[in-house]
Amino acid sequence: MNLERLPNEEKLTLCRKYYFGGFAFLPFLWLVNVVWFFKEAFVKPTYTEQLQIKTYVKCSGLGFLLWVAVLTTWITIFQHFRAEWGEVGDYLSFTIPLGIP
Amino acid sequence: MKSHWMCSNMVRCLGDGNTSLQKLATSIVFFFCLSDVSCNSVEQKIYVELNNTVPCVRLLNATHQIGCQSSISGDTGVIHVLESEEDLEWPLSKGPNPPYMVLLESSLFTRSIMMKMKNESNRVAGVAVVVPNTSPPEFSPHTTCPNENTGVYSDNYGPNLAHCNTTVWNPRGNGLSYEEFDFPVFSLKEDNETEFIKQCYLDHNRAVNGSAPQYPLCAMQLFSHMHAVTNTPTCMRRNDINFSINPEMVCDPLGDYNVWGSIRPYNDTVFGHKENESVVIAAARLDSRAFFWEVSTGAEGSVSGFVTLLAAAQALREVTHEAPPTRNILFAFFQGETFDYIGSSRMVYDMENGKFVIDLDNIHSVLEIGQVALHSGNNLFLHSDPVSRRNNTVNDVVREELFSSFFPNVSQPLPPSSLQRFLRAQPIPGIVLADHESAFNNRYYESFYDNAANLNLTYPSDLSPEEQLEFVTHTAESLTDVATVVARALYKQAGGDESRVNTIKADPKIVTQMLYGFLVSSNNSWFQAVMAPELKNILTCVHVLGYLGLHCFVFFCLLEPSPPEYYYLLANLTGAATNLTQSQCQKPDELPNESRQMYSYLWVQGIVPPNSTERDSFCVRASVRLTKAVSPAFELGEYASKDYSTWTESRWKFIKARIFLVASRDLEMLTLGVGVAVLFTSLLVTYFISTKADVLFSSTREPASAAY
Repeated sequence: MNLERLPNEEKLTLCRKYYFGGFAFLPFLWLVNVVWFFKEAFVKPTYTEQLQIKTYVKCSGLGFLLWVAVLTTWITIFQHFRAEWGEVGDYLSFTIPLGIP
Repeated sequence: MKSHWMCSNMVRCLGDGNTSLQKLATSIVFFFCLSDVSCNSVEQKIYVELNNTVPCVRLLNATHQIGCQSSISGDTGVIHVLESEEDLEWPLSKGPNPPYMVLLESSLFTRSIMMKMKNESNRVAGVAVVVPNTSPPEFSPHTTCPNENTGVYSDNYGPNLAHCNTTVWNPRGNGLSYEEFDFPVFSLKEDNETEFIKQCYLDHNRAVNGSAPQYPLCAMQLFSHMHAVTNTPTCMRRNDINFSINPEMVCDPLGDYNVWGSIRPYNDTVFGHKENESVVIAAARLDSRAFFWEVSTGAEGSVSGFVTLLAAAQALREVTHEAPPTRNILFAFFQGETFDYIGSSRMVYDMENGKFVIDLDNIHSVLEIGQVALHSGNNLFLHSDPVSRRNNTVNDVVREELFSSFFPNVSQPLPPSSLQRFLRAQPIPGIVLADHESAFNNRYYESFYDNAANLNLTYPSDLSPEEQLEFVTHTAESLTDVATVVARALYKQAGGDESRVNTIKADPKIVTQMLYGFLVSSNNSWFQAVMAPELKNILTCVHVLGYLGLHCFVFFCLLEPSPPEYYYLLANLTGAATNLTQSQCQKPDELPNESRQMYSYLWVQGIVPPNSTERDSFCVRASVRLTKAVSPAFELGEYASKDYSTWTESRWKFIKARIFLVASRDLEMLTLGVGVAVLFTSLLVTYFISTKADVLFSSTREPASAAY
C-alpha cells in the first residue's frame, strides 16, 4: 500500500490501529509500524498529524525491543536448560528432538 | 522400519519431461518401487550400498542408556583398517584426516580398543567389525555377573553371595554390550562387500612412505540414529506426550510371550490359589542376546536348555497318561531372561497377584535347566540356593531329588536363573541343572559366536538338508541323555510310580531335529509340519532367537507377535492329535468334550504323505498357553523401578551403510566459494547492465509507444 496517496488523517488512523493492535501480543505489528511509518514520522517535512505519528512509532519501537529482549532471554534459557529440566522441559515443549537429550 | 529412499531416487531420475509423461513415469516408478528395481541415477555411481550389515542399537533402563547412536544424517569417516592395537594411534592422534571410520577384525574387537575409541570419540566417526565365520578363542560382551541387581542375592539376602563375591559366573565377560557409545558400531560379514571395502582402503587410504594419503579418500557413512535418550522414564514419558500434532513413539518396552504347558490341564479362566494342588515347575529360558541387534542364536546359553526341557516334556507324555503322578508338572519357558528376568518376574508377579492359574503356595519345587550342552565327561552339576536351604523343609525337599547322590555345593550361590525370581518372592525348594560347577563353560556367553559351532554340532558333509535334519549328532545324543535324566527326576519329584521311572526315555530324533531347526535352518520340513499354515512367512525370515521388541519384527510389522515355534513344538510334543476339522478346531466349544478353557487347539500343517502333494493337516489339542512376558514395571507404571526389569529398546527410522569417495575439505570449500562468487558476479553484472541499459542497447528504432 502506498502511503503517498493517503491523506494525513488516514495515515494517523492506520498508525494508531497498528499501535493498538500490537498490544494483543503481536509485536510484529509494532515492527511493521516502525518500518512503514519511519519516513513519515522522521523524514518528511512537518505536518499536523506527524507529532502523534511520531509518538506512536516511538512507542511501537520500544515495545518491539522489549518483546525482542524478553523472547531472546526466554529462548536462550529454554534451549540451554530444557534437557536438564527433565519432565518440566518435556511438558513445555511442542516438538521434542529425537535422539538427543 | 525400512524407508523408501529408493523410491525418491527413482522419481528424481525421471524428473524431466512434460507433465503427462511425467505422471505416467511416476506411476510406473511407484509400481517398480515396490519391487525395488533401481535405475541408473548419479547416486548409484557415487555410493555403494552395504547390504549385509547389522547395527548395534540403543537400549535403555531405569537409569542408563547403552548401545550406539549415530547422528541424524549419518556419521561419515575416512576408512581405516586397524592392524593392531598400536595402530590405533593413527585414527586417534596421528592421522591427518579425522574423523575416521575404524574397520576392525574380530580379534581386535576388545574392550581396551573400544574404550580407547570411546574416549577419543571426536576423532572416531564409527566402527565396523568384521565377523568371521570361525569363532575366536573366547568372546563374551556380557557382564561378568549377569543380572546381579535383579536376582535374589542382595544386601538383605545372602550379602556375601551377592554381586558375584563368591563365584564370578562369566569371567570372560568384557561388558561391551552394556557400554554406551556415541558413534555407530556395525558388523559386517566376511564376504565380497568387505573385500571391496578393504580394496577401496588399500587403493586410496594407505599412507605411502609415511606421507599422508592424498584425497580423494575412501569413506564410509553409517546411519543408525536412535530416537530414545537418557533412560526409560524419559522415553516412556515422551511416548505419552500427546500434545504435539504428530505424537511419535520413541521406545518400546522389551517383552514377548512366555510359554507354559502342564501335564494336567488348568482352566484358563480360573486364577489364583488352587486348593490341594501341588505343582512341580520345570523351567528353562528361551532368549539370548548379542552386542549387535538380533543376531544371537544362544546355542549354549538358551537353546541347550529349552531343547532339553522340550524333549523331557515329550518323554513324559506317555507315562503321565498311563500312570499320572500325584503332583502336576508345569513346563515353563521364560522369555526375556537376559534383561533382568522379564519373563520370570512377570510370571511371579502374576502368581503373587492372582493372575495366573496357580499361586506361589501351590509350587512344590522348581527344577530349572540352565546351560547343559558343554558338559565335559558327562558331568552335570546341581546348583541350589544356600540361604533358602537353611530352612529345613526346603533342605529336605532338595535332598529328596533324584540327584541326591550329587550333593550341591552349599556355599555357592545360584547362577543367574529364573529360580532366583521365585526365591525373591518366597523360599521355594529349587535346583538348577547346569554343565558348569562354578564359572560358565560357555566361552561365548550372550555373543554372536554362541552358535552351532560352539556346541560342536557337525554334520557329515555329504548330507542333504533333509538328511541333516534327521541325522543324530553327538551333541543331540548327549542332550538326549540329559533330557532323560530330567524327565525321570521330574516324574519322581511329582510323586509318580517308582517302577515306571526307568521306562522314561527321551527321543534323540526329536532332539536332533530341534537342534537343527533352531541352530542351522528353521525352514525345514519338520518345523513346517508342526506349525500352522499362516506362519510359513516367519520361517523364511531370519531365524534368530534374538531378544525381543514389540515393533517391526523382521519383514513385517505385527502389533502382536505370532505364536512362536516353541509354542507349537510344546503343543505337538505334549498334546494329542485329534480328529477335529479345521473349522471345529477354531471353535471347539461347540463340541461336547472339548473346551477352549482347558486346552489350546492348534491347526497344524502336518507332513506331506509319500504319495501325495497335499499336507495332512490336523488339529492338536494341548494344555499349552502363552502368557504375556512384559515386565511388571510397565504394568505398574513404575519406570524407575529397582525391583523389576525396566529395559526398553529405542526406535529408529532407517539403518543403512554405504561407502563412497570423499574430497578434501579444501576442495569442497573452494567449490562453494567459486559458486558464491559466480552468483555475486552475475548479480553485479545484471545490475550494471540494467542501469546502463539505454547506453548499451541504444535503439535506432522509433521509441516504443507507452501502451503499457
